[in-house]
Amino acid sequence: MLSHPARALAAATMLLGLPAFAEETVRISGWGGSEVAIVNGLLTNVLAEKLAKEGITVEYEPVDGDFSQFILNGLSAGTAPDLFYVDVFWARSIFSAGQAAPVTQDVSGFAANLLQAFTYDGKLFAVPKDFNALAVHFNKDIFDDAGVAYPSDDDTWTTLQAKLVAVHKALPEVDGLCVVPEYARFGAFALSTGWSPLDSQGKTVIDERFRRAFDFYTGLVESGAAVMAADAGQSWTGGCLASERAAIAIEGAWIISALRDGAPNMNLGTVRMPKDPKSGKRGNIVFTVGWSVNAASKVSKAAAKVAEFLTTEEAQQWVLEQGLALPSRTALADNPWLRGGQPEQMASRVVLEGLADDHVSPYFFGDVGGSWMQPINAALNSVFLGEADADAALASAQSAFDRMLAK
Amino acid sequence: MMARKTAAHASPSRCRLPASALRRRQLAASAWLYLTFLAVATIMAGTFVLAFMASLKVDPLERPFRFYFDQLNPAAWIAAARLGQEGAGDALWGGFSPGAKIAFGVTYAAPADTTIVEPKAEIPRRRPGSGIAAALMRDYAADYASIALKSSSSETMQVRDERGIWQAWPTRTFVYEITYRPDRQNRPRIERTPLNLTAPPSQTLIDSPISPSRSERRGRLLSWDNITPGALGLIFNNYRRVINETADLQTGKSLFGSWLVNSLAIATGRLLLTLVVASLAGYALARLKFRGSRLLFAALIFSMTIPAQVTFVSNYLIFRDLSLLNTPWSVIVVFVASANVLLMKQFFEGFPREIEEAAIVDGANRFQVFWKIVLPNAKPALLVNAILAFQGAWNDFFWPLVLITSPPEALTVQVGLLSLRRSFGGAQGDWGLVLAGAFLSVVPVLILFVLFQRHIVPTQFTKGIT
Repeated sequence: MLSHPARALAAATMLLGLPAFAEETVRISGWGGSEVAIVNGLLTNVLAEKLAKEGITVEYEPVDGDFSQFILNGLSAGTAPDLFYVDVFWARSIFSAGQAAPVTQDVSGFAANLLQAFTYDGKLFAVPKDFNALAVHFNKDIFDDAGVAYPSDDDTWTTLQAKLVAVHKALPEVDGLCVVPEYARFGAFALSTGWSPLDSQGKTVIDERFRRAFDFYTGLVESGAAVMAADAGQSWTGGCLASERAAIAIEGAWIISALRDGAPNMNLGTVRMPKDPKSGKRGNIVFTVGWSVNAASKVSKAAAKVAEFLTTEEAQQWVLEQGLALPSRTALADNPWLRGGQPEQMASRVVLEGLADDHVSPYFFGDVGGSWMQPINAALNSVFLGEADADAALASAQSAFDRMLAK
Repeated sequence: MMARKTAAHASPSRCRLPASALRRRQLAASAWLYLTFLAVATIMAGTFVLAFMASLKVDPLERPFRFYFDQLNPAAWIAAARLGQEGAGDALWGGFSPGAKIAFGVTYAAPADTTIVEPKAEIPRRRPGSGIAAALMRDYAADYASIALKSSSSETMQVRDERGIWQAWPTRTFVYEITYRPDRQNRPRIERTPLNLTAPPSQTLIDSPISPSRSERRGRLLSWDNITPGALGLIFNNYRRVINETADLQTGKSLFGSWLVNSLAIATGRLLLTLVVASLAGYALARLKFRGSRLLFAALIFSMTIPAQVTFVSNYLIFRDLSLLNTPWSVIVVFVASANVLLMKQFFEGFPREIEEAAIVDGANRFQVFWKIVLPNAKPALLVNAILAFQGAWNDFFWPLVLITSPPEALTVQVGLLSLRRSFGGAQGDWGLVLAGAFLSVVPVLILFVLFQRHIVPTQFTKGIT
């Protein structure tokens, strides 16, 4: 809020055609974890001068709790920050409630499939700040000790599975992969068959292709290639990789920062997702997060400016070169840093290549939001736990989709 | 007839037992009772002790749970103190500062026919992957340290193999010297000195001043998070991290400290408010006869049956409209004192009316009676109420979680602990920090309890009537 003299001064400077020098404070917020280093580094190392020039002070509040709860709570109570993260899979609920203001319309530099999910009603409501996709990360030492060939870019589901089975056979204390009953990982397999989450009529149809991927994924445990992550005392596939319980993990580039804490010296290799042996194609899911301006913000102009700064090519290059996240701008896809030979650089490069896989779908499910995944997750879980067979589980998933999408 | 017969038949106990048998029975009964209490206490204290032990560990989730590790080993404390002294001249908290010259010896053993090779030693550039630590880390020991092998010596040791036959295994001790490079410019003090030793898996580490933090690469690489911890830095590493790594990014002040202050302020505020409301309302309900007092009391009792979650949305909206969200006031005033009022009312009803009447005869009015006669004698009830209110407010999680969401330094310690669970180490959570934080959060309540507990029983009033 500006006091009266300051407002007059601001008006005067604007009339004179000079940049407004009235000090504006923009509160920005995102989740914690590895993101703290990214945003804080940008604000202090890269953007400090630019922001000072614009007369903008940024107050950064990382939120370590449940961020979507924090932001929904804050937006409805009027205590939300001026600029905040939105994750692509729940962003729509904020846009459709009119709680976000449109951001910059200059979208030329950004990857097109990242913009799609942040566009609502023809307007862009969030600037994509980075993205992630899935890849196969593996522990070279485990494959060496087991005498099994490393996973490769040419692997299909079946050849990768055979390698994992061989690893488990040679080293019984190690499992191939820790699987999780989640669409966020399984989806890449389903997509590679050519199946799509929502068909042209906006319906979800569980067809023969989906079934093939489903049978493969749920059969991993029985074949000895995988173990359920929960049975290995972990909550995600990367946890098993870090503790050397599993030979591979199917994760995005976020695994890099987790490994820095959990297994800083791992001899890590990364290859692309395996191909569907029948279609010969690869599938992948694209995860992205953007900056949204609070529609109720009193400094929305300044907030939009900060969002712009935080996603400039210069800023994204810094983030990329720190090995922190992948850029949403296509111009940085052939940055020299990505050609380096360090495991972190290779992992980032492979994940970036995933964006060009044959069947890539954003982690975004229209107006239904994240609850779209629920029937598939439930079906995966019940088959993994042996509570139901695939026929029954998928039939109930199909009827859940029919009910959900009929509305 | 029937009744008499059954009574006679069924009452062997009616004939008096011999005194010795009675005594034995009594002894057995009290022994069982005593053992039961002991078992309950062991379970209660046992989990507490185990959690405390885990809070000291590098990996609190390790399976199987070890009871003997560096943090509980006096030999490691002494070694850590020496390393801290050599690293930064600080035997307690360690570090790595200019002039450091650290001798770190490791001993490997291998089966008789294997030669022991010199491990590859390296001071790695270890970056925290997540959390505030990752944002605040500026200086790395890797940039300022040089490491060189100073000496190595060979010996043999006797090892019993799986068939029980003694075998001579060769051992080799390598002593490394880690120095702070004198050619560096700004020369900061660095908190931690990590070390990596890579050696073939055929040879095993059998001795080192402090144990490696973890074994990586399937036994090829041993890694130490900090080889210059100092004695306290070794034992209370997680506790130090809770304080240092939860810092406000702008001011660099420890968030954990402000969480503790907030919790203390909120708990004190709620305690005062509870005492005022509960004692006034309790006295009014106990002594003043006014129209609707019974209805009021019934409403009070009824309100105790309503869970806070039922009225939470409306309360929340009221706080929003009063602009009290994200302020400690909202959490202070959102309290339910009906149980405390009931407690005070029952106490006041038991207070001898004659004393009050005597005061009224002497010319005191109602408030004077309450203030000068009743309240000074209500100390035990007030203290019980105060302790309940303070403890309730301190442990309250729901309201602070809902009403105070930002900025990070405005949280209470209980909600802050939740954010610790989420912020570090990706999806896994850093349980060492969570446990250490939880134990730190217990300390103020523990101190208050120890201080106040002896005031609960003896008061002027109880002295007067006993």
